[in-house]
Amino acid sequence: MSPIDPRLQEALDLERDPGDLPVDLREAYARFNAATQMLKATPPVSVAARVMAEIRQIPPPVHSEGPARRLIHWLGRPRAVTVRLRPVWTLALAAGLAAVLVLQWPSGGPTPGVAQGIANFVGQFPGARSVEVVGSFNDWSRGTLHLNDDDGDGIWHAKAVLPAGQHEYMFVVDGERWVPDPLAGRYVDDGFGAGQQNSLLIVRPVSAQP
Amino acid sequence: MVNDGAPDIEVVARVLGGDGEAFGILIRRYEPGLLRFATRMLGNPDAAADAVAESLVRAYRHLAQCRDPGRLRSWLYRITGNRCRSHLARRHTNDISLSDVPPPALADGSDTWAVLERGEQVALVERALASLPAEKREAFVLKHVEGMSYEEMATVTGARIPTLKMRVHRAREALLAALEEVVR
Repeated sequence: MSPIDPRLQEALDLERDPGDLPVDLREAYARFNAATQMLKATPPVSVAARVMAEIRQIPPPVHSEGPARRLIHWLGRPRAVTVRLRPVWTLALAAGLAAVLVLQWPSGGPTPGVAQGIANFVGQFPGARSVEVVGSFNDWSRGTLHLNDDDGDGIWHAKAVLPAGQHEYMFVVDGERWVPDPLAGRYVDDGFGAGQQNSLLIVRPVSAQP
Repeated sequence: MVNDGAPDIEVVARVLGGDGEAFGILIRRYEPGLLRFATRMLGNPDAAADAVAESLVRAYRHLAQCRDPGRLRSWLYRITGNRCRSHLARRHTNDISLSDVPPPALADGSDTWAVLERGEQVALVERALASLPAEKREAFVLKHVEGMSYEEMATVTGARIPTLKMRVHRAREALLAALEEVVR
């Protein structure tokens, strides 16, 4: 295999008019295009029936419950406390806030379950109109866990009761931009190739809290 | 009822709203390209059909995780490409066995010599493609068979655009070198 003329590469990348190529390169260009045409034949098979038969056997990729019902369901669960803090420059402040949240969780709220914890999501998104969290704990469904920025300082907060254990999650900013938590500390491949990663959250059970 | 010409984003919303049958629209829309891509990647139509079927079921299961339904095509190709890589990894080599590449398909046309010549060319092109490492083969097929831009290829593969350009250029060199054999 020997390098081919850069002008031919440019023409194949649509960066040069093939009509401007010298005759020998024009011939190579035509041969190349004829060859790629040979590879464009669509295989005369279909997997549609097989795939549809299989997906009819599995639940639809949505919850049967609506978002509001799921949120009510969460709020009704017992809760324990685990605090997650995001922006670097607020770490010190957040550490203090974590202690306050742990100690001052409303006494009138549901009693924490031994196998559950509370995740406190905090993210810095100045200028965002909305921020929410989607993850393995809510089947990546939008509209169930919104963060709030009541004082408009660009720091968004939300809490959720989650089963103890490991959860993957992402922030969704303004309803369209999926953002991994830059300070999650742990990440896992999203399983779809291309090296994209989800943030990883580990919720400790209330029984493990000091 | 969503119609066959509805934009991807609308069909996805329909499926996520509980209408699993609407996923059939997406299958009809993207199956031909995915099968072509997988066949060129794996060199074996049966293995390609399995890879595409598994990828589509996986896509259905995780449709709520599709971050941008407006770019569903890229997402489906990414899942399928990943599936093909897994399949190749199980073979302990990224190369297609040349025995997987079908022999020239000869037809009984009136111009037998022309048909034979074309059949030989097809086999030669397929073998040249099969001899490439998987990542170069993938870049070449996405660019020249599926007609993707380098930007979309980057979304599909996760590789950087300069890297993809280099892979495509190397693949072209191999292919053109093989074609020289035909015209020599």
